[in-house]
Amino acid sequence: MHCFILAGGFATRLWPLTERRAKPLLPLAGKPLLTRIVESIPEGVAITASTNAEFAESMAEWQKTLDRPVTVIVEKTRNDKEKLGALGALAQWMRDTNVQEDILLLAGDNYLGFKMSDFLASYTPGVPLLAVREIGDLAAASKFGTAVLHPGSRRMALYEEKPKEPKSSLVSTTCAVFPPSVFPLILNYSLTHPDNNGGVWEQFLLNGVPCEAFPFTEAWFDIGSYEAYLAATVALVGENVEKNPTATLADSVTRGSVVLGANAMVKRSELTDTVLFEDCVVEDCVLDRCILDRGCVLKGVDLSGKMLRAGTTLTR
Amino acid sequence: MRRTLILTLWLVADLAAFLLAYALSYVLRVGPILSTDFPLNPYLQVAAVVAPLWLLVLVSAKSFSLFADQRSLRQVASLAYAAVVGAALFALGYYFAFGLFFSRLLLAMALVFTFIMSLLIHWLFDAWRRSFLRHDPPVYPTLIVGLTRESKALIERLNGMRSPFRPVAILDGRGTKETEVDGVPVLGRLNLLEETIAQKKITHLIQCSDLEQSINLLSACRSRGLTYMMLPSVLGIIGDEERVEMLEGLPVTIVEPASRAWWRKAF
Repeated sequence: MHCFILAGGFATRLWPLTERRAKPLLPLAGKPLLTRIVESIPEGVAITASTNAEFAESMAEWQKTLDRPVTVIVEKTRNDKEKLGALGALAQWMRDTNVQEDILLLAGDNYLGFKMSDFLASYTPGVPLLAVREIGDLAAASKFGTAVLHPGSRRMALYEEKPKEPKSSLVSTTCAVFPPSVFPLILNYSLTHPDNNGGVWEQFLLNGVPCEAFPFTEAWFDIGSYEAYLAATVALVGENVEKNPTATLADSVTRGSVVLGANAMVKRSELTDTVLFEDCVVEDCVLDRCILDRGCVLKGVDLSGKMLRAGTTLTR
Repeated sequence: MRRTLILTLWLVADLAAFLLAYALSYVLRVGPILSTDFPLNPYLQVAAVVAPLWLLVLVSAKSFSLFADQRSLRQVASLAYAAVVGAALFALGYYFAFGLFFSRLLLAMALVFTFIMSLLIHWLFDAWRRSFLRHDPPVYPTLIVGLTRESKALIERLNGMRSPFRPVAILDGRGTKETEVDGVPVLGRLNLLEETIAQKKITHLIQCSDLEQSINLLSACRSRGLTYMMLPSVLGIIGDEERVEMLEGLPVTIVEPASRAWWRKAF
Protein backbone atom coordinates (compact mmCIF):
# COMPACT_ATOMS: atom_id res chain seq x y z
CA MET A 1 0.00 0.00 0.00
CA HIS A 2 1.12 3.54 -0.76
CA CYS A 3 -0.30 6.56 1.03
CA PHE A 4 -0.85 9.74 -0.97
CA ILE A 5 -1.47 12.89 1.08
CA LEU A 6 -3.03 15.91 -0.60
CA ALA A 7 -1.27 19.03 0.62
CA GLY A 8 -1.33 21.19 -2.49
CA GLY A 9 -4.02 23.71 -1.55
CA PHE A 10 -3.34 27.42 -1.11
CA ALA A 11 -5.50 27.74 2.03
CA THR A 12 -6.69 31.22 1.17
CA ARG A 13 -9.34 31.19 3.91
CA LEU A 14 -6.69 30.70 6.57
CA TRP A 15 -4.65 33.69 5.48
CA PRO A 16 -2.49 35.04 7.09
CA LEU A 17 -1.57 31.86 8.99
CA THR A 18 -0.81 30.20 5.67
CA GLU A 19 1.19 33.12 4.31
CA ARG A 20 4.49 31.26 4.63
CA ARG A 21 3.47 27.67 5.33
CA ALA A 22 1.17 25.08 3.83
CA LYS A 23 -2.09 24.56 5.70
CA PRO A 24 -1.21 20.96 6.69
CA LEU A 25 1.88 22.35 8.41
CA LEU A 26 -0.12 24.52 10.80
CA PRO A 27 0.60 23.38 14.32
CA LEU A 28 -2.43 21.72 15.84
CA ALA A 29 -2.10 21.55 19.63
CA GLY A 30 1.63 22.10 19.29
CA LYS A 31 2.37 19.69 16.45
CA PRO A 32 1.98 20.14 12.67
CA LEU A 33 -1.21 18.49 11.45
CA LEU A 34 0.74 16.69 8.73
CA THR A 35 3.09 15.22 11.33
CA ARG A 36 0.06 13.89 13.21
CA ILE A 37 -1.21 12.31 10.00
CA VAL A 38 2.15 10.74 9.16
CA GLU A 39 2.45 9.36 12.70
CA SER A 40 -0.99 7.76 12.36
CA ILE A 41 -0.03 5.78 9.26
CA PRO A 42 1.24 2.27 10.04
CA GLU A 43 4.90 1.50 9.46
CA GLY A 44 5.48 -0.22 6.16
CA VAL A 45 3.14 2.04 4.22
CA ALA A 46 5.13 4.26 1.88
CA ILE A 47 4.07 7.92 2.03
CA THR A 48 4.03 10.61 -0.64
CA ALA A 49 2.75 14.13 0.00
CA SER A 50 1.86 16.51 -2.79
CA THR A 51 2.35 20.24 -2.36
CA ASN A 52 2.58 23.32 -4.56
CA ALA A 53 5.59 25.41 -5.54
CA GLU A 54 4.59 28.18 -3.13
CA PHE A 55 4.99 25.95 -0.08
CA ALA A 56 7.78 23.67 -1.35
CA GLU A 57 10.33 25.27 0.94
CA SER A 58 8.27 24.90 4.12
CA MET A 59 7.48 21.29 3.21
CA ALA A 60 11.19 20.57 2.70
CA GLU A 61 11.89 21.98 6.16
CA TRP A 62 9.12 19.86 7.64
CA GLN A 63 10.51 16.72 5.97
CA LYS A 64 13.70 17.13 8.01
CA THR A 65 11.74 16.91 11.27
CA LEU A 66 10.39 13.41 10.54
CA ASP A 67 11.87 10.14 11.63
CA ARG A 68 10.42 8.17 8.71
CA PRO A 69 10.80 8.76 4.98
CA VAL A 70 8.15 10.82 3.23
CA THR A 71 8.45 11.72 -0.43
CA VAL A 72 7.30 15.25 -1.24
CA ILE A 73 6.30 16.01 -4.80
CA VAL A 74 5.86 19.61 -5.87
CA GLU A 75 3.17 20.76 -8.29
CA LYS A 76 4.42 23.58 -10.48
CA THR A 77 1.62 25.85 -9.35
CA ARG A 78 1.94 29.15 -7.52
CA ASN A 79 -1.67 30.28 -7.16
CA ASP A 80 -5.27 29.12 -6.95
CA LYS A 81 -5.90 29.60 -10.67
CA GLU A 82 -3.10 27.21 -11.71
CA LYS A 83 -3.73 24.41 -9.22
CA LEU A 84 -4.30 20.91 -10.50
CA GLY A 85 -7.17 20.06 -8.17
CA ALA A 86 -7.13 17.24 -5.64
CA LEU A 87 -8.04 14.49 -8.08
CA GLY A 88 -5.80 16.03 -10.75
CA ALA A 89 -2.82 15.91 -8.40
CA LEU A 90 -3.53 12.28 -7.50
CA ALA A 91 -3.94 11.30 -11.14
CA GLN A 92 -0.74 13.05 -12.18
CA TRP A 93 1.21 11.20 -9.50
CA MET A 94 -0.41 7.90 -10.56
CA ARG A 95 0.62 8.50 -14.15
CA ASP A 96 4.11 9.66 -13.29
CA THR A 97 4.91 6.74 -10.99
CA ASN A 98 2.74 4.10 -12.68
CA VAL A 99 1.77 2.95 -9.20
CA GLN A 100 0.29 -0.55 -9.11
CA GLU A 101 -0.46 -1.08 -5.43
CA ASP A 102 -3.39 -0.04 -3.24
CA ILE A 103 -3.52 3.71 -2.62
CA LEU A 104 -4.47 5.18 0.75
CA LEU A 105 -5.68 8.70 0.00
CA LEU A 106 -5.63 11.29 2.79
CA ALA A 107 -6.16 15.05 2.96
CA GLY A 108 -3.39 16.95 4.67
CA ASP A 109 -5.85 19.37 6.23
CA ASN A 110 -8.18 16.77 7.76
CA TYR A 111 -7.85 15.66 11.35
CA LEU A 112 -9.38 12.21 11.84
CA GLY A 113 -9.99 10.97 15.36
CA PHE A 114 -10.10 7.24 14.57
CA LYS A 115 -7.12 4.90 14.45
CA MET A 116 -5.78 4.50 10.93
CA SER A 117 -4.96 0.89 11.71
CA ASP A 118 -8.68 0.24 12.38
CA PHE A 119 -9.58 1.85 9.09
CA LEU A 120 -7.03 -0.19 7.14
CA ALA A 121 -8.06 -3.37 8.95
CA SER A 122 -11.59 -2.90 7.59
CA TYR A 123 -10.33 -2.81 4.00
CA THR A 124 -11.44 -5.73 1.84
CA PRO A 125 -8.74 -6.26 -0.81
CA GLY A 126 -9.94 -5.08 -4.20
CA VAL A 127 -12.95 -3.16 -2.85
CA PRO A 128 -12.68 0.66 -2.65
CA LEU A 129 -13.14 1.89 0.92
CA LEU A 130 -14.31 5.31 2.09
CA ALA A 131 -14.38 6.73 5.62
CA VAL A 132 -17.79 8.29 6.30
CA ARG A 133 -19.13 10.13 9.31
CA GLU A 134 -22.70 10.54 10.52
CA ILE A 135 -23.23 14.27 11.09
CA GLY A 136 -26.96 13.99 11.86
CA ASP A 137 -27.96 17.06 9.86
CA LEU A 138 -29.41 16.61 6.37
CA ALA A 139 -29.18 20.32 5.52
CA ALA A 140 -25.51 20.45 6.46
CA ALA A 141 -24.88 17.23 4.55
CA SER A 142 -25.70 18.95 1.25
CA LYS A 143 -22.27 20.61 1.40
CA PHE A 144 -20.52 17.19 1.34
CA GLY A 145 -20.63 13.95 -0.55
CA THR A 146 -23.23 11.69 1.04
CA ALA A 147 -23.40 7.92 1.13
CA VAL A 148 -26.33 5.55 1.62
CA LEU A 149 -25.40 2.07 2.81
CA HIS A 150 -27.24 -1.20 2.32
CA PRO A 151 -29.12 -1.99 5.56
CA GLY A 152 -26.92 -3.79 8.07
CA SER A 153 -23.95 -3.68 5.75
CA ARG A 154 -20.91 -1.53 4.94
CA ARG A 155 -21.69 -1.83 1.21
CA MET A 156 -22.47 1.46 -0.43
CA ALA A 157 -25.85 1.61 -2.18
CA LEU A 158 -25.70 5.22 -3.31
CA TYR A 159 -23.24 8.09 -3.36
CA GLU A 160 -24.15 11.67 -4.23
CA GLU A 161 -21.67 14.54 -4.39
CA LYS A 162 -23.08 17.69 -2.74
CA PRO A 163 -26.73 16.77 -3.36
CA LYS A 164 -29.40 19.46 -3.14
CA GLU A 165 -31.66 17.07 -1.23
CA PRO A 166 -29.46 14.59 0.60
CA LYS A 167 -30.89 11.15 1.28
CA SER A 168 -28.43 10.58 4.09
CA SER A 169 -26.37 12.56 6.57
CA LEU A 170 -23.53 10.06 6.35
CA VAL A 171 -20.89 12.27 4.76
CA SER A 172 -17.68 11.41 3.00
CA THR A 173 -14.19 12.39 4.12
CA THR A 174 -11.01 12.48 2.10
CA CYS A 175 -9.84 9.22 3.62
CA ALA A 176 -10.11 6.31 1.20
CA VAL A 177 -8.40 3.24 -0.17
CA PHE A 178 -8.35 2.62 -3.92
CA PRO A 179 -7.38 -0.79 -5.28
CA PRO A 180 -5.54 -0.87 -8.66
CA SER A 181 -8.70 -2.20 -10.37
CA VAL A 182 -10.31 1.27 -10.16
CA PHE A 183 -7.24 3.24 -11.32
CA PRO A 184 -8.45 3.50 -14.96
CA LEU A 185 -11.76 4.98 -13.77
CA ILE A 186 -9.95 7.51 -11.56
CA LEU A 187 -7.55 8.53 -14.34
CA ASN A 188 -10.35 8.89 -16.84
CA TYR A 189 -12.61 10.89 -14.51
CA SER A 190 -9.78 13.18 -13.42
CA LEU A 191 -9.38 14.44 -17.01
CA THR A 192 -12.77 16.14 -16.89
CA HIS A 193 -13.23 16.65 -13.13
CA PRO A 194 -9.77 17.36 -11.68
CA ASP A 195 -11.17 18.99 -8.54
CA ASN A 196 -14.04 16.59 -7.83
CA ASN A 197 -12.53 14.10 -5.48
CA GLY A 198 -15.85 12.75 -4.30
CA GLY A 199 -17.20 12.32 -7.80
CA VAL A 200 -15.13 9.15 -8.32
CA TRP A 201 -17.43 7.29 -5.92
CA GLU A 202 -20.40 8.09 -8.15
CA GLN A 203 -18.37 6.79 -11.08
CA PHE A 204 -17.46 3.57 -9.29
CA LEU A 205 -21.12 2.84 -8.50
CA LEU A 206 -22.24 3.82 -12.00
CA ASN A 207 -19.73 1.34 -13.38
CA GLY A 208 -20.91 -1.42 -11.07
CA VAL A 209 -17.84 -1.39 -8.84
CA PRO A 210 -18.77 -2.53 -5.33
CA CYS A 211 -17.71 0.02 -2.71
CA GLU A 212 -17.51 -0.18 1.06
CA ALA A 213 -17.70 2.44 3.79
CA PHE A 214 -16.01 2.83 7.15
CA PRO A 215 -18.50 4.68 9.34
CA PHE A 216 -16.91 6.39 12.34
CA THR A 217 -18.06 8.58 15.18
CA GLU A 218 -14.75 9.95 16.40
CA ALA A 219 -13.71 13.57 15.87
CA TRP A 220 -13.21 14.85 12.34
CA PHE A 221 -12.09 18.35 11.46
CA ASP A 222 -11.62 19.73 7.99
CA ILE A 223 -9.32 22.58 8.94
CA GLY A 224 -10.12 25.11 6.28
CA SER A 225 -11.05 28.16 8.29
CA TYR A 226 -10.27 30.08 11.47
CA GLU A 227 -13.37 28.62 13.14
CA ALA A 228 -12.49 25.04 12.19
CA TYR A 229 -8.88 25.47 13.32
CA LEU A 230 -9.95 26.81 16.69
CA ALA A 231 -12.64 24.12 17.08
CA ALA A 232 -10.04 21.40 16.37
CA THR A 233 -7.69 22.95 18.93
CA VAL A 234 -10.42 23.11 21.56
CA ALA A 235 -11.34 19.47 20.87
CA LEU A 236 -7.74 18.26 21.12
CA VAL A 237 -6.53 20.37 24.01
CA GLY A 238 -9.70 20.51 26.11
CA GLU A 239 -9.72 22.77 29.16
CA ASN A 240 -5.94 22.74 29.38
CA VAL A 241 -2.78 24.64 28.56
CA GLU A 242 -0.65 22.88 25.94
CA LYS A 243 2.71 24.48 26.64
CA ASN A 244 5.93 23.86 24.79
CA PRO A 245 8.73 23.19 27.32
CA THR A 246 10.52 26.34 26.12
CA ALA A 247 7.46 28.57 26.56
CA THR A 248 6.92 30.85 29.58
CA LEU A 249 3.60 31.54 31.29
CA ALA A 250 3.81 33.90 34.26
CA ASP A 251 1.30 35.81 36.39
CA SER A 252 -1.44 35.01 33.87
CA VAL A 253 -4.92 33.55 33.79
CA THR A 254 -5.93 30.97 31.17
CA ARG A 255 -9.38 29.71 30.30
CA GLY A 256 -10.46 27.00 27.88
CA SER A 257 -7.86 25.69 25.44
CA VAL A 258 -4.57 27.56 25.34
CA VAL A 259 -1.56 26.53 23.26
CA LEU A 260 1.86 28.12 23.69
CA GLY A 261 4.43 27.36 21.00
CA ALA A 262 8.20 27.18 21.34
CA ASN A 263 9.76 30.20 23.08
CA ALA A 264 6.38 31.90 23.50
CA MET A 265 6.31 34.22 26.50
CA VAL A 266 3.13 35.31 28.29
CA LYS A 267 3.15 37.67 31.27
CA ARG A 268 0.37 39.35 33.23
CA SER A 269 -2.28 38.39 30.67
CA GLU A 270 -5.63 36.65 30.30
CA LEU A 271 -5.89 34.07 27.54
CA THR A 272 -9.09 32.28 26.53
CA ASP A 273 -9.12 29.65 23.74
CA THR A 274 -5.99 31.17 22.26
CA VAL A 275 -3.09 29.75 20.28
CA LEU A 276 0.36 31.31 20.23
CA PHE A 277 2.83 30.04 17.66
CA GLU A 278 6.60 30.14 18.16
CA ASP A 279 8.44 33.18 19.56
CA CYS A 280 5.33 35.21 20.46
CA VAL A 281 5.53 37.74 23.29
CA VAL A 282 2.32 38.74 25.10
CA GLU A 283 2.37 41.11 28.07
CA ASP A 284 -0.53 42.82 29.85
CA CYS A 285 -3.04 41.62 27.26
CA VAL A 286 -6.50 40.11 27.21
CA LEU A 287 -6.82 37.69 24.29
CA ASP A 288 -10.01 35.79 23.51
CA ARG A 289 -10.19 33.26 20.64
CA CYS A 290 -7.04 34.58 19.01
CA ILE A 291 -4.41 32.84 16.91
CA LEU A 292 -1.03 34.53 16.81
CA ASP A 293 1.44 33.46 14.16
CA ARG A 294 5.19 33.28 14.74
CA GLY A 295 6.99 36.23 16.32
CA CYS A 296 4.00 38.41 17.24
CA VAL A 297 4.62 40.97 19.99
CA LEU A 298 1.58 42.27 21.88
CA LYS A 299 1.82 44.58 24.86
CA GLY A 300 -1.13 46.23 26.56
CA VAL A 301 -3.82 45.32 24.01
CA ASP A 302 -7.15 43.49 24.18
CA LEU A 303 -8.16 41.42 21.17
CA SER A 304 -11.03 39.08 20.42
CA GLY A 305 -11.50 36.68 17.50
CA LYS A 306 -8.36 37.63 15.55
CA MET A 307 -5.77 35.80 13.47
CA LEU A 308 -2.53 37.77 13.46
CA ARG A 309 0.10 37.45 10.76
CA ALA A 310 3.68 36.56 11.62
CA GLY A 311 5.69 39.39 13.10
CA THR A 312 2.75 41.63 14.01
CA THR A 313 3.75 44.14 16.67
CA LEU A 314 1.09 45.94 18.70
CA THR A 315 2.50 47.71 21.72
CA ARG A 316 1.42 50.69 23.79
CA MET B 1 11.69 62.20 -7.06
CA ARG B 2 8.79 63.41 -9.21
CA ARG B 3 6.88 64.41 -6.06
CA THR B 4 9.87 66.40 -4.73
CA LEU B 5 10.38 68.16 -8.05
CA ILE B 6 6.76 69.20 -8.39
CA LEU B 7 6.53 70.27 -4.74
CA THR B 8 9.69 72.38 -4.99
CA LEU B 9 8.46 74.12 -8.14
CA TRP B 10 5.06 74.66 -6.55
CA LEU B 11 6.54 76.30 -3.43
CA VAL B 12 8.79 78.50 -5.55
CA ALA B 13 5.85 79.46 -7.77
CA ASP B 14 3.76 80.35 -4.69
CA LEU B 15 6.54 82.53 -3.27
CA ALA B 16 6.94 84.28 -6.63
CA ALA B 17 3.16 84.77 -6.85
CA PHE B 18 3.07 86.40 -3.42
CA LEU B 19 5.83 88.84 -4.33
CA LEU B 20 4.25 89.50 -7.72
CA ALA B 21 0.86 90.18 -6.13
CA TYR B 22 2.40 92.82 -3.86
CA ALA B 23 4.52 94.32 -6.67
CA LEU B 24 1.47 94.49 -8.94
CA SER B 25 -0.56 96.22 -6.23
CA TYR B 26 2.24 98.76 -5.81
CA VAL B 27 2.39 99.46 -9.53
CA LEU B 28 -1.39 99.80 -9.83
CA ARG B 29 -1.74 101.96 -6.75
CA VAL B 30 1.45 104.04 -6.74
CA GLY B 31 2.11 104.03 -10.47
CA PRO B 32 4.80 102.71 -12.77
CA ILE B 33 7.19 105.54 -11.83
CA LEU B 34 8.85 104.69 -8.54
CA SER B 35 7.83 107.00 -5.70
CA THR B 36 10.40 108.54 -3.38
CA ASP B 37 7.77 109.06 -0.64
CA PHE B 38 6.82 105.40 -0.70
CA PRO B 39 9.85 103.57 -2.18
CA LEU B 40 9.44 100.11 -3.70
CA ASN B 41 12.60 98.61 -2.22
CA PRO B 42 11.67 98.47 1.49
CA TYR B 43 8.13 97.56 0.48
CA LEU B 44 9.39 94.46 -1.38
CA GLN B 45 11.84 93.64 1.40
CA VAL B 46 8.96 93.33 3.84
CA ALA B 47 6.98 91.28 1.29
CA ALA B 48 9.99 88.96 0.90
CA VAL B 49 10.19 88.44 4.66
CA VAL B 50 6.44 87.82 5.00
CA ALA B 51 6.23 85.46 1.97
CA PRO B 52 7.73 82.39 3.75
CA LEU B 53 5.43 82.99 6.73
CA TRP B 54 2.46 83.12 4.37
CA LEU B 55 3.70 79.85 2.86
CA LEU B 56 3.85 78.30 6.33
CA VAL B 57 0.19 79.17 6.80
CA LEU B 58 -0.59 77.31 3.57
CA VAL B 59 1.52 74.32 4.64
CA SER B 60 -0.23 74.20 8.03
CA ALA B 61 -3.57 74.18 6.19
CA LYS B 62 -2.29 71.09 4.27
CA SER B 63 -2.73 72.94 0.99
CA PHE B 64 0.05 70.94 -0.68
CA SER B 65 -1.10 67.56 0.60
CA LEU B 66 -1.78 64.79 -1.89
CA PHE B 67 -5.16 64.46 -0.25
CA ALA B 68 -6.11 68.11 -0.77
CA ASP B 69 -8.65 68.71 -3.52
CA GLN B 70 -7.69 72.18 -4.71
CA ARG B 71 -11.17 72.82 -6.11
CA SER B 72 -12.93 72.07 -2.84
CA LEU B 73 -14.50 74.89 -0.86
CA ARG B 74 -12.24 74.01 2.05
CA GLN B 75 -9.06 74.57 0.02
CA VAL B 76 -10.34 77.78 -1.57
CA ALA B 77 -11.22 79.02 1.91
CA SER B 78 -7.72 78.08 3.12
CA LEU B 79 -6.15 80.14 0.35
CA ALA B 80 -8.39 83.10 1.20
CA TYR B 81 -7.54 82.74 4.88
CA ALA B 82 -3.80 82.57 4.09
CA ALA B 83 -4.10 85.71 1.93
CA VAL B 84 -5.73 87.58 4.83
CA VAL B 85 -3.03 86.41 7.23
CA GLY B 86 -0.37 87.41 4.66
CA ALA B 87 -1.81 90.92 4.34
CA ALA B 88 -2.03 91.29 8.12
CA LEU B 89 1.55 90.12 8.56
CA PHE B 90 2.68 92.49 5.81
CA ALA B 91 0.94 95.48 7.44
CA LEU B 92 2.40 94.61 10.83
CA GLY B 93 5.85 93.96 9.35
CA TYR B 94 5.90 97.25 7.49
CA TYR B 95 4.78 99.15 10.57
CA PHE B 96 7.33 97.41 12.80
CA ALA B 97 10.15 98.05 10.29
CA PHE B 98 9.34 101.61 9.31
CA GLY B 99 6.85 102.92 11.85
CA LEU B 100 4.48 103.83 9.05
CA PHE B 101 1.14 102.73 7.69
CA PHE B 102 0.27 103.13 4.03
CA SER B 103 -2.60 102.96 1.57
CA ARG B 104 -5.41 100.69 2.80
CA LEU B 105 -6.51 100.18 -0.80
CA LEU B 106 -3.04 98.90 -1.74
CA LEU B 107 -3.23 96.37 1.07
CA ALA B 108 -6.70 95.26 -0.04
CA MET B 109 -5.49 94.90 -3.63
CA ALA B 110 -2.47 92.87 -2.51
CA LEU B 111 -4.77 90.60 -0.51
CA VAL B 112 -7.09 90.01 -3.47
CA PHE B 113 -4.21 89.49 -5.91
CA THR B 114 -2.51 87.05 -3.51
CA PHE B 115 -5.71 85.05 -3.26
CA ILE B 116 -6.39 85.00 -7.01
CA MET B 117 -2.82 84.22 -8.01
CA SER B 118 -2.35 81.50 -5.42
CA LEU B 119 -5.70 79.99 -6.42
CA LEU B 120 -4.70 79.85 -10.08
CA ILE B 121 -1.29 78.42 -9.25
CA HIS B 122 -2.79 75.76 -7.00
CA TRP B 123 -5.28 74.72 -9.67
CA LEU B 124 -2.55 74.62 -12.29
CA PHE B 125 -0.12 72.63 -10.18
CA ASP B 126 -2.85 70.30 -8.97
CA ALA B 127 -3.73 69.40 -12.56
CA TRP B 128 -0.06 68.96 -13.42
CA ARG B 129 0.60 66.88 -10.30
CA ARG B 130 -2.27 64.52 -11.09
CA SER B 131 -0.98 63.88 -14.58
CA PHE B 132 2.73 63.89 -13.67
CA LEU B 133 2.50 61.49 -10.71
CA ARG B 134 0.06 59.16 -12.39
CA HIS B 135 1.71 58.34 -15.67
CA ASP B 136 3.66 55.08 -16.03
CA PRO B 137 5.22 54.03 -13.79
CA PRO B 138 2.89 55.68 -11.26
CA VAL B 139 4.57 57.30 -8.25
CA TYR B 140 1.89 55.98 -5.89
CA PRO B 141 0.72 52.54 -7.05
CA THR B 142 -2.23 51.75 -4.82
CA LEU B 143 -3.57 48.35 -3.83
CA ILE B 144 -7.30 47.96 -3.25
CA VAL B 145 -8.29 45.24 -0.78
CA GLY B 146 -11.86 44.02 -1.03
CA LEU B 147 -14.24 44.22 -3.94
CA THR B 148 -17.47 45.90 -2.88
CA ARG B 149 -19.82 48.52 -4.30
CA GLU B 150 -17.86 51.14 -2.35
CA SER B 151 -14.49 49.97 -3.63
CA LYS B 152 -15.74 49.99 -7.21
CA ALA B 153 -16.97 53.54 -6.76
CA LEU B 154 -13.62 54.46 -5.22
CA ILE B 155 -11.62 52.99 -8.11
CA GLU B 156 -13.80 54.73 -10.68
CA ARG B 157 -13.44 58.01 -8.81
CA LEU B 158 -9.66 57.72 -8.43
CA ASN B 159 -9.37 57.01 -12.14
CA GLY B 160 -11.98 59.57 -13.18
CA MET B 161 -10.37 62.33 -11.10
CA ARG B 162 -6.90 61.24 -12.25
CA SER B 163 -5.87 60.94 -8.61
CA PRO B 164 -2.15 60.65 -7.87
CA PHE B 165 -3.11 57.42 -6.07
CA ARG B 166 -3.47 55.11 -9.02
CA PRO B 167 -5.14 51.75 -8.32
CA VAL B 168 -2.97 49.05 -9.89
CA ALA B 169 -4.34 45.86 -8.36
CA ILE B 170 -7.26 44.46 -6.39
CA LEU B 171 -7.19 41.60 -3.89
CA ASP B 172 -10.40 40.21 -2.50
CA GLY B 173 -10.52 38.13 0.67
CA ARG B 174 -13.65 36.31 -0.42
CA GLY B 175 -12.46 35.39 -3.89
CA THR B 176 -14.63 37.31 -6.33
CA LYS B 177 -15.11 36.00 -9.85
CA GLU B 178 -14.71 39.46 -11.38
CA THR B 179 -11.44 39.90 -13.23
CA GLU B 180 -11.16 43.68 -13.42
CA VAL B 181 -12.80 46.94 -12.38
CA ASP B 182 -12.34 50.01 -14.55
CA GLY B 183 -9.18 48.50 -16.02
CA VAL B 184 -7.71 47.50 -12.64
CA PRO B 185 -7.02 43.74 -12.48
CA VAL B 186 -8.37 41.52 -9.71
CA LEU B 187 -5.33 39.37 -8.92
CA GLY B 188 -6.81 36.98 -6.36
CA ARG B 189 -7.17 36.54 -2.63
CA LEU B 190 -5.18 37.90 0.29
CA ASN B 191 -2.64 35.08 0.11
CA LEU B 192 -1.14 37.06 -2.79
CA LEU B 193 -0.64 40.16 -0.63
CA GLU B 194 3.14 39.99 -0.19
CA GLU B 195 3.69 38.99 -3.81
CA THR B 196 1.46 41.79 -5.10
CA ILE B 197 3.08 44.43 -2.89
CA ALA B 198 6.51 43.40 -4.13
CA GLN B 199 5.64 42.99 -7.80
CA LYS B 200 3.57 46.14 -8.16
CA LYS B 201 5.82 48.21 -5.88
CA ILE B 202 2.77 49.26 -3.86
CA THR B 203 3.06 52.45 -1.78
CA HIS B 204 -0.52 52.78 -0.54
CA LEU B 205 -3.12 50.21 0.48
CA ILE B 206 -6.81 50.97 0.78
CA GLN B 207 -8.90 48.49 2.74
CA CYS B 208 -12.45 48.37 1.43
CA SER B 209 -13.77 45.21 3.15
CA ASP B 210 -12.65 42.24 5.29
CA LEU B 211 -12.74 44.10 8.60
CA GLU B 212 -11.38 41.03 10.40
CA GLN B 213 -8.10 41.43 8.53
CA SER B 214 -7.45 45.08 9.51
CA ILE B 215 -4.67 44.20 11.96
CA ASN B 216 -2.94 41.96 9.43
CA LEU B 217 -3.17 44.51 6.64
CA LEU B 218 -1.83 47.17 8.98
CA SER B 219 0.96 44.82 10.00
CA ALA B 220 1.88 44.23 6.34
CA CYS B 221 1.84 47.98 5.69
CA ARG B 222 3.98 48.72 8.75
CA SER B 223 6.56 46.08 7.92
CA ARG B 224 6.94 47.38 4.37
CA GLY B 225 6.55 51.09 5.08
CA LEU B 226 3.29 51.47 3.14
CA THR B 227 0.55 53.96 3.91
CA TYR B 228 -2.67 52.28 5.02
CA MET B 229 -6.11 53.76 4.36
CA MET B 230 -9.56 52.40 5.09
CA LEU B 231 -12.97 53.21 3.67
CA PRO B 232 -15.46 54.12 6.43
CA SER B 233 -17.88 51.57 4.96
CA VAL B 234 -15.62 48.79 6.32
CA LEU B 235 -16.79 49.89 9.77
CA GLY B 236 -20.37 50.21 8.57
CA ILE B 237 -20.18 53.99 8.25
CA ILE B 238 -22.24 54.72 5.18
CA GLY B 239 -23.96 58.01 4.45
CA ASP B 240 -22.65 59.68 7.61
CA GLU B 241 -19.79 62.10 8.11
CA GLU B 242 -16.76 60.86 9.99
CA ARG B 243 -13.57 62.45 11.18
CA VAL B 244 -10.81 61.73 13.64
CA GLU B 245 -10.68 64.06 16.65
CA MET B 246 -8.86 64.08 19.94
CA LEU B 247 -10.90 63.25 23.05
CA GLU B 248 -8.92 64.30 26.11
CA GLY B 249 -5.73 63.67 24.17
CA LEU B 250 -6.76 60.31 22.72
CA PRO B 251 -7.75 59.87 19.07
CA VAL B 252 -11.37 58.88 18.44
CA THR B 253 -13.37 58.51 15.25
CA ILE B 254 -16.44 60.73 15.31
CA VAL B 255 -19.47 59.83 13.21
CA GLU B 256 -22.27 62.31 12.82
CA PRO B 257 -25.33 62.27 10.58
CA ALA B 258 -24.54 64.08 7.34
CA SER B 259 -27.85 65.92 7.67
CA ARG B 260 -26.87 67.67 10.91
CA ALA B 261 -26.84 71.49 10.62
CA TRP B 262 -23.40 72.94 9.87
CA TRP B 263 -23.49 75.25 12.88
CA ARG B 264 -24.06 72.30 15.20
CA LYS B 265 -21.00 70.56 13.74
CA ALA B 266 -18.95 73.75 13.96
CA PHE B 267 -19.69 74.25 17.63
